[in-house]
Amino acid sequence: MIRCENIVYSYDGATRALDGVKLTIADGEFLCVLGGNGSGKSTLAKHLNALLVPDKGRVTVEGLDTADPEYVYDIRSRVGLVFQNPDDQLVATLVADDVAFGPENLGVAPQDIEAGVARALDAVGLGGFERRETHALSGGQKQRVAIAGVLAMKPHVIVLDEATAMLDPRGRRGLMRAARALHEQGMTVVMITHFMEEAADADRVVVLDQGKIALEGTPAEVLTHADELLGLELDVPPSCALAVALGRGGVAVTPQVDEDAMVAEIARAFTGAAAQGEAPARPAAGEAGGPAATGSSCPAAASAGEVCLALKGVSYSYETSSRERARRSRRRASARRAAWGSDPNEVWALRDVDLTVRQGELLGIAGHTGSGKSTLIQHLNGLIHPTEGTVELFGADLAGRRAAAAAKGRVGIVFQYPEQQLFARTVFEDVAFGPRNLGMSESEVAERVREALDSVGLAFDEVAEKSPFALSGGQQRRCAFAGVIAMRPDVLVLDEPVAGLDPAARREFLDLIARLNEQGLTVIMVSHSMDDLASLADRIVVLNEGRVALEGVPRAVFARAEELERIGLGLPAAERMARRLRAAGVPVGEDVFLTVDELAGALCSLKGVRS
Amino acid sequence: MGTFSFGSYYPGDGVLYRLDPRVKLLGGIAFLIITLLARTCAALVPPALFVVALYLLARVPAGRAARSVAPLLGIVVVVGILNLFTDHSGATLVQLGPLAISEGSLSSFAFISVRMVIMMCAMSLVTMTTQTLDLTHAVERLLAPLARFGVPAHEIGMMLGIALRFMPQFATELTQTYRAQVSRGARLAGGPLSGVRMLSSVSIPLFASIFRHAETLSAAMDARCYHGEQGRTRMHPLRFAARDAGAAACLVALAIAVVAVSALTSS
Repeated sequence: MIRCENIVYSYDGATRALDGVKLTIADGEFLCVLGGNGSGKSTLAKHLNALLVPDKGRVTVEGLDTADPEYVYDIRSRVGLVFQNPDDQLVATLVADDVAFGPENLGVAPQDIEAGVARALDAVGLGGFERRETHALSGGQKQRVAIAGVLAMKPHVIVLDEATAMLDPRGRRGLMRAARALHEQGMTVVMITHFMEEAADADRVVVLDQGKIALEGTPAEVLTHADELLGLELDVPPSCALAVALGRGGVAVTPQVDEDAMVAEIARAFTGAAAQGEAPARPAAGEAGGPAATGSSCPAAASAGEVCLALKGVSYSYETSSRERARRSRRRASARRAAWGSDPNEVWALRDVDLTVRQGELLGIAGHTGSGKSTLIQHLNGLIHPTEGTVELFGADLAGRRAAAAAKGRVGIVFQYPEQQLFARTVFEDVAFGPRNLGMSESEVAERVREALDSVGLAFDEVAEKSPFALSGGQQRRCAFAGVIAMRPDVLVLDEPVAGLDPAARREFLDLIARLNEQGLTVIMVSHSMDDLASLADRIVVLNEGRVALEGVPRAVFARAEELERIGLGLPAAERMARRLRAAGVPVGEDVFLTVDELAGALCSLKGVRS
Repeated sequence: MGTFSFGSYYPGDGVLYRLDPRVKLLGGIAFLIITLLARTCAALVPPALFVVALYLLARVPAGRAARSVAPLLGIVVVVGILNLFTDHSGATLVQLGPLAISEGSLSSFAFISVRMVIMMCAMSLVTMTTQTLDLTHAVERLLAPLARFGVPAHEIGMMLGIALRFMPQFATELTQTYRAQVSRGARLAGGPLSGVRMLSSVSIPLFASIFRHAETLSAAMDARCYHGEQGRTRMHPLRFAARDAGAAACLVALAIAVVAVSALTSS
């Protein structure tokens, strides 16, 4: 049992990161701590295992006071902490040595360490990975190694401090699976996160805001307070968002955290009326109609603009020699694979990709980590050249050195976590880097910097002379965006632009991207969030194992649920719920729903037709 | 990437792999000294046979062994050529202005080149059959007696291990940053000013990343109860076995052979 008694903590003595938190964590509980950036949730995590000691108040772990230096290692071995970044917390080159690090520090006898390491790896689904090198693992696998490293110390409590924030959906699911399995075995799990789906699984949810507990209770009690959560810059789960939208449309339903429960609840509200009219249900739904009824029967994109980028039969292999490729293909057949995750021995990163991008469109590229998304976008400005096939930008083949150099100015790529590439003394200098490389005059550079900062919503006069490292995380990312926009590209390519952001910042960035696209910029956005793609993209390309698996307007792509399921990408929440509603007998029609509001609209008008 | 392959680990199993890394490290150094003891070409025969026997024992294929040593052959050529012109004993064979090649210089060229190749093959074999982590562990343990003179043996071993762990990661991050900056039109060629700007645009993010990683890594190590050497155990403690004594005996025999052959053939 962990007891936090009115703890107060400040990093700088002025602002309080924690401001009187009172919290008791019971043995065997699955507690979820929610909060936006700066809410104090990571500070709280560090208090639970004596990495930080409160300024005021007291934290006790099984009766031991964390402020007492004598108990520090007892406490840390009982409360294991897993951090956010998978690349920061592994200490050793080999998986087994890393997992053994904790027990070694505790002075466990060698023969017991070895058995403990094997057990811990089994518990996270990585049995047999002892001799693998840590840097060659996927992000999700690294996080599971980190959990194993904590488990090897035989803790009673495991604290996951935003451990899923930097993972893709598949990695996140793997981690959640491991956490749930541990909880079922009786481990106390404290999950710190800003993902609502994860909170729905917990026994209890605590919402932090500005160092204070703002809401507390079961997931159903907390997560259905949609308005309050939005006020705290958090999201609500899609099922609750649907209930809220229905409420606004005059259909009163009780919000449910669990999607199945929500679907059952809505079905109950509708089948009362549907009981008399089972037969006319379909036509009624057709009349009610979602916003775009022709969606699923329209596989091609509404192609308006001129073609700006064309990939023809592009294949790419990181292995340049064809002999080596053949050798690796053979080896791959016999190599041992992970229980789940992508395969690093894949020979072709891209295979026969045909793709055209038209001016003014917002093209979404979906796929897992390792599906070839990142390799694909590097072809778009000639950073890498296809092993086979051609890439053309406005008709010019990028294989030529001059064309490839010119493409750098016309196709701007914002890589993942672009804030990690900031380097200059001031924001101005950093944003000016691109225009200066293009050889512009100083006055032109200044004009472009102003314009670029303006378009990403940063005030020139406020930030231009600041150091980019002094900005907040979200501002840093805006600054990095501006650095690419300042080159006035014709096409803007974004690789996972909202990865690692909290819900409020995510919404702001998605709005920013939509605005840039409305202003006429062609945007290619790589994402593994189906919801983001559904609400933004004009057209979606789904990559799987280096090939184009699906392509078309969002409604056409999301109509092929089985194929998406097989790839493991899933559907946008709205369409997922619509399918379950249909199965439950609610005649929402055959349309594909992209947003929760669309689905709510269809349901409300259905109710209107009925009554 | 991956063009530099000198002595990179070759996964395998066998007596060489199971030797204590301390023995392999010290044995490698002893082998270098023994080879340096050889005074004549004939005296190089025992070390050469010894190395060949070890490669056979480790079952490292010849091609892989050659590829591993190849990057350093340049040094052999340079040092060999320098010797070619410095030794002037024996009859002069070729005279090119001040440069002369004599019988003596030719034989010393051959002798030195062969000796260097043997030494490189031996050192390469040490690292090919030992995981880097075991090597850092060996360094730590070998330095341990110096701890009483204030040498932080454990910390040096720990730092070596962590540096090795982060090397591939920083390489990846460097590539990413480089690509991002190239996408913003950065070029190395294109005047000194843009060159400097390019270098700083790639190196500063790397340093920022190193500091960021260091900060969280130290917290993560704290969280896993790291508190220095005291009371720490190892999953695989280093222990000398009979085979280690055997290895030492082989080296002693080799040393005697080299000295004996040297004495017999140099007259």
